[in-house]
Amino acid sequence: MRSKRFLVASLVVLFACKPPTPAEQLDSALSWVATARMAGDAWLQHTTPDKYTRQTLELSQQTLLQLGTKLLKSPVPGVDSASLDSLLTRSRGHIAQMAALVTAKNSPGFRQQLDSLISDETLVKQFADSAESKQ
Amino acid sequence: MKLVRDVLDKKLTDREDCEMGRVSGLVMQVGERSQPRITHILVGGKTLWMRIHPWIARVAARLSRMWGPKRDEPVRIPWSRVESVGKDVKLDVKARDTGALDWELWVAKHIIERIPGGGKQEEE
Amino acid sequence: MKKILQLTLGIITSVGGFLEIGSVVTAAQAGANYGYKLLWAILLGTICLIFLVEMSGRLAAVSKHTIVDATRERFGFPFFSIVMLGIVAVAFLVLVAELGGIGLALQILSGIGFRWWAIPVSIIVWLLMWKGTFGVIENGASLLGLVTISFAVAAVKMHPDWGGAAHGLLPTMPGDGKAKYGFTAVSILGASISPYLMYFYSSGAIEDKWDESYIPMNRIIAGFGMTFGGFLSMAVLVAAALSLQPRGIDIEKFEQAALLMTPALTRWGFYLFAFSMLFACLGAALEISLAIAYFFAQGLGWSWSEDLDPSRDSRFAFTYTIIILLGAIPLLLGIDPIKVTMMSMALTSATLPLAIVPFLFLMNDSIYLGKHRNGWLSNSVVAIVILISFVLAIISIPLEIIGG
Repeated sequence: MRSKRFLVASLVVLFACKPPTPAEQLDSALSWVATARMAGDAWLQHTTPDKYTRQTLELSQQTLLQLGTKLLKSPVPGVDSASLDSLLTRSRGHIAQMAALVTAKNSPGFRQQLDSLISDETLVKQFADSAESKQ
Repeated sequence: MKLVRDVLDKKLTDREDCEMGRVSGLVMQVGERSQPRITHILVGGKTLWMRIHPWIARVAARLSRMWGPKRDEPVRIPWSRVESVGKDVKLDVKARDTGALDWELWVAKHIIERIPGGGKQEEE
Repeated sequence: MKKILQLTLGIITSVGGFLEIGSVVTAAQAGANYGYKLLWAILLGTICLIFLVEMSGRLAAVSKHTIVDATRERFGFPFFSIVMLGIVAVAFLVLVAELGGIGLALQILSGIGFRWWAIPVSIIVWLLMWKGTFGVIENGASLLGLVTISFAVAAVKMHPDWGGAAHGLLPTMPGDGKAKYGFTAVSILGASISPYLMYFYSSGAIEDKWDESYIPMNRIIAGFGMTFGGFLSMAVLVAAALSLQPRGIDIEKFEQAALLMTPALTRWGFYLFAFSMLFACLGAALEISLAIAYFFAQGLGWSWSEDLDPSRDSRFAFTYTIIILLGAIPLLLGIDPIKVTMMSMALTSATLPLAIVPFLFLMNDSIYLGKHRNGWLSNSVVAIVILISFVLAIISIPLEIIGG
């Protein structure tokens, strides 16, 4: 009985530390682009404070960088990894700009970058959808 | 009286209803022709750890030689001092006199009272 | 009148035990990933918890012994030490998560990273226990915890699909991704049914000097208190289903959760979330530290009470001091509290039988409860839910590891 519980507990730990699959990483990338967008929208409406917005945008950017590297190494089956990579790089660029514009309190410039990010988000979603349909 | 079930691991309280730990072990006397009977209650010390594994008892003994009240042997309380056995075991003793609170007093004096706001143990 | 004020014990147990970083994060993830589909897991956890908490209070009120007291006395020290090891280890992980939760809430409010908050937060939690009495902690945490009602306000304001939500109260299986769904359900159950809650509540009943006359009130407190927490957890799930799922946002970091109530309550939503997490995690940190210290003190026969000066229960005070200090260390090292949360919730589910099975035996023991022993309903509900948790844990976890 004791050893069974220990086994279960180790399985739990193993699972919690399990690395995500490429498809999951793509979903995660979409989630982070969406996060940056939601935070951006919120900032423009004066819902979120500057510091939090900037830090969240920076966090999105860093996470997308890590995910992009991993996706390049182990691509999602059926997805053109080169196109996906340049798309993610472009998104990161927009997000980085947005973070800087928060500090500068430049709303019109921020709006522009956000709009570009929204278009990118649609494209990332298409990648994610096509990956899911091929599973 | 099913000794093991009724006495072992029960809470001990003294004359003034002060909590003084739990029964870690029992000392029994086995006669040739008579029933085995309890002579002493043991509190704390290596008795408790021995019930899990002797190795743990050795580690505990080594640690207690470095810190805490320098007490090697568990506290022995004669069975004659037991007033009643119910949900708790009531003893006709004063907790501080038995040595059962040695660790509590040591931690209070050497650690807790040195921190601001810790208060003070009552003076005898 | 005094008995009604005891509702605060129910509320703090609920807010600190039920609504804390684990249940908020798991409920939000469930809503973000599966919409209303996992509401049944929260419902199941809540029902089980109501029974467990009622039992904890009843045991203390009738026998004047806590669960820990009774476990050692009835099962002996060797078995007790195994239970203690398992429960305390997992509870400690949850404590780290809660201290991290306070730090994360302060991080999103101030912009200063949670690592910097690890020490100040630990000191404050420790100070509250060092100088505070049980009543102060109980009432203070309950009062502050009421800010979590904002979760319900936000959820309602977003006009949920009540029909869809009602459907979610019945268990369903998703089309694919069954293993991850199962794992999320397991985490919700582990987040809801936390053993430290029971130990805290039964000790609280002793601290508040309950006797047999409190049995009816105990039922109300357990029922009301846990329903309060469960209801708010469901509100978090619904809010996430409405604000995060449509946007395709999964919650991997706390920063994402902070946006939960912004569509509904704009700027208020942001700050209410932060303060809700702050106070809920604070209540939980206090509760868990006390629960662990109670475990040691009651199990080993030391004197214990939050109402005593620390020097009068020195080993008890020393224990919670060390625990809080140790709890800060992983955070200082920068370990992500969200990851600790996810792991500890699933571990709680897997180790539930260790706490509940001996407890069920005790609740049927006439020496401790006399005529107030468990009826068939209490026994059945608890046994079934624990079985479900455990089975779900051992099925979904290997599946997720192998199949993924």
